[in-house]
Amino acid sequence: MLKEDTGSRGQPAWFQILVPPIVWPWALQALQEEQAKLKTRLQELKRKLRDNPQDKVPFPVPEAPLVFRGDIQQGKETTKSVVSNLRICYPLPGGSALVTFDDPNVAKQVLQQAEHTIDVEGFRLRVQVQPLELPMLTTIQVSSQMNEQRVLVSGFPAGLKLSEEELLDKLEIFFGKSKNGGGDVETRELLQGSVMLGFAKDTVAQHLCQTGQFTVPLGKQQFPLRVSPYVSGKIQKAEVRSLTVPHSVLVLNIPDVLDGPELQDVLEIHFQKPTRGGGEVEAVTVMPLGQQGLAVFTAKLG
Amino acid sequence: MATDEDNKKQVLKEYGPAEEFMKDEQNQKLISEIEKENTQLKEEIQKLEAELQATTRNSQINEDIPETKIKFTAVENPESDSQFSNTSYSCHMSSKVPYELQKGQALITFEKEEVAQNVIRVGHHHVQIQDVNMKVMASPVPLNSGVRFQVHVEVSKMKIHVTDIPDELPESQMRDKLELSFCKSRNGGGEVDCVEYDKQSRSAVVTFVESGVADKILKIKDYPLYINQNCQRVTVSPYTETYLKKFQVFSGVSKKTVLLTGLEDLQIIDEETVEDFINIHFQREKNGGGEVEVVKCSLGQPYIAYFEE
Repeated sequence: MLKEDTGSRGQPAWFQILVPPIVWPWALQALQEEQAKLKTRLQELKRKLRDNPQDKVPFPVPEAPLVFRGDIQQGKETTKSVVSNLRICYPLPGGSALVTFDDPNVAKQVLQQAEHTIDVEGFRLRVQVQPLELPMLTTIQVSSQMNEQRVLVSGFPAGLKLSEEELLDKLEIFFGKSKNGGGDVETRELLQGSVMLGFAKDTVAQHLCQTGQFTVPLGKQQFPLRVSPYVSGKIQKAEVRSLTVPHSVLVLNIPDVLDGPELQDVLEIHFQKPTRGGGEVEAVTVMPLGQQGLAVFTAKLG
Repeated sequence: MATDEDNKKQVLKEYGPAEEFMKDEQNQKLISEIEKENTQLKEEIQKLEAELQATTRNSQINEDIPETKIKFTAVENPESDSQFSNTSYSCHMSSKVPYELQKGQALITFEKEEVAQNVIRVGHHHVQIQDVNMKVMASPVPLNSGVRFQVHVEVSKMKIHVTDIPDELPESQMRDKLELSFCKSRNGGGEVDCVEYDKQSRSAVVTFVESGVADKILKIKDYPLYINQNCQRVTVSPYTETYLKKFQVFSGVSKKTVLLTGLEDLQIIDEETVEDFINIHFQREKNGGGEVEVVKCSLGQPYIAYFEE
């Protein structure tokens, strides 16, 4: 709108004090320039505010049934969340074992000696014992914002007989075609009751959202699906701490002299002996040399 | 409209300086007009900025995760070997959606959805609270939206993060020094696969050929780095990647919880007593109710009630 002639005739601060009554042409211009800048800023803010997902999202998003279970609080509203499906996987190398005790104090005692010598008929096994440390997320900060490359596809009929992969393929095929208003799909993800599609080109998502409704073939039938803007999340801050598992110890560098089941028995007997600092063993998991596995840990209920 | 005005000003602007000088009076008027407009714009901007700040805060999840007790569950054999190079942590998170329970309002959660929907359908209920018969209105709870996602953390068994690297050698030379120092087995090192060194942040990522080396090195907090004749300590820490999956905004719908209004004029101030009476009334089938899970009411201070999945 305004052809800005930036900076060349900027007005010094003393100007108005010295000569207020005379109107210099560039005084007017400076004001106009300021106004143009203010208007741009205002537009920018309005756009940001519109794009910013507030408590009330400006477009329909999939519903989730919620229930009040008595969690109340007085005073200011804070963000709260529910953490579930906690799962930690620890790779066990070959020649190792995971020994879990009933009593965490026994694990502590066992760990006082870094090396244990295990007597087996006729020979001795020398093994290393270590505490098991696992990563635990302690703090997380996530912000959300409108994603201009992505859309949310929703409105799938109940009882759709397609696997996750099949459904995603069908959607990618349909929304990958330019005749349907789509474009190259870069990312895809099945969510609860909806699917996120990310496009390589910026404009595709916007155009699809403007159309909003599509009839998409899924298997033998066609279904009306809804396309709406996608809000994506970004980790602002995450703190991970290393936590020692209180009940378990890791046994490493076990020589390859016994086979799996035999080794398991030998270890169980050894670590049960109070004379060796041991105690009631809950479980022994052996990973023989040449093999590897993932030890899976989950939340203890109660 | 705005464009019209801008055009007028544009025309004025395009006059030569001499001519414009003559139009002093007119310009003066125009200037004060623009000044006024600008002040208005500034005020509007300020308001929006404040609003924006408030909403960005709202749309964030900021959570301290309480320490969880964990137990060993099973040993798995994944198909892909890549899972052996990380210790991984994952969990699902779902925000609780807050509802401000005002004075005179109550929330009641039924075990069955049908019961809750029936209570809403009936609408008005006459609830006996001590010796008063209260007319209470049942309606759905208007809820805001929330988010849910999965957090994944991967701590590498093959890589370590090195920081506080002295900035005294050219990039390629420093990379070699790092590799040489970290492959010394007498210091707990092992064969190095590659070194990614960033001179600017004075940090590096060292990848080892064998797993187990990283673990051993991380037992100490700093590691000796040999530069020519000198030995300096550099800080070593786990190489961790954190990412989100399946991020989704949802709008909350309360199917089992019902909002009750109309308790403002109650003379009783003990909330627990009122909650008991509400509970008794709504668990009776003849009142259209059923098994009640929880009741909460506010007779004074508002409460924030959190809804969860």
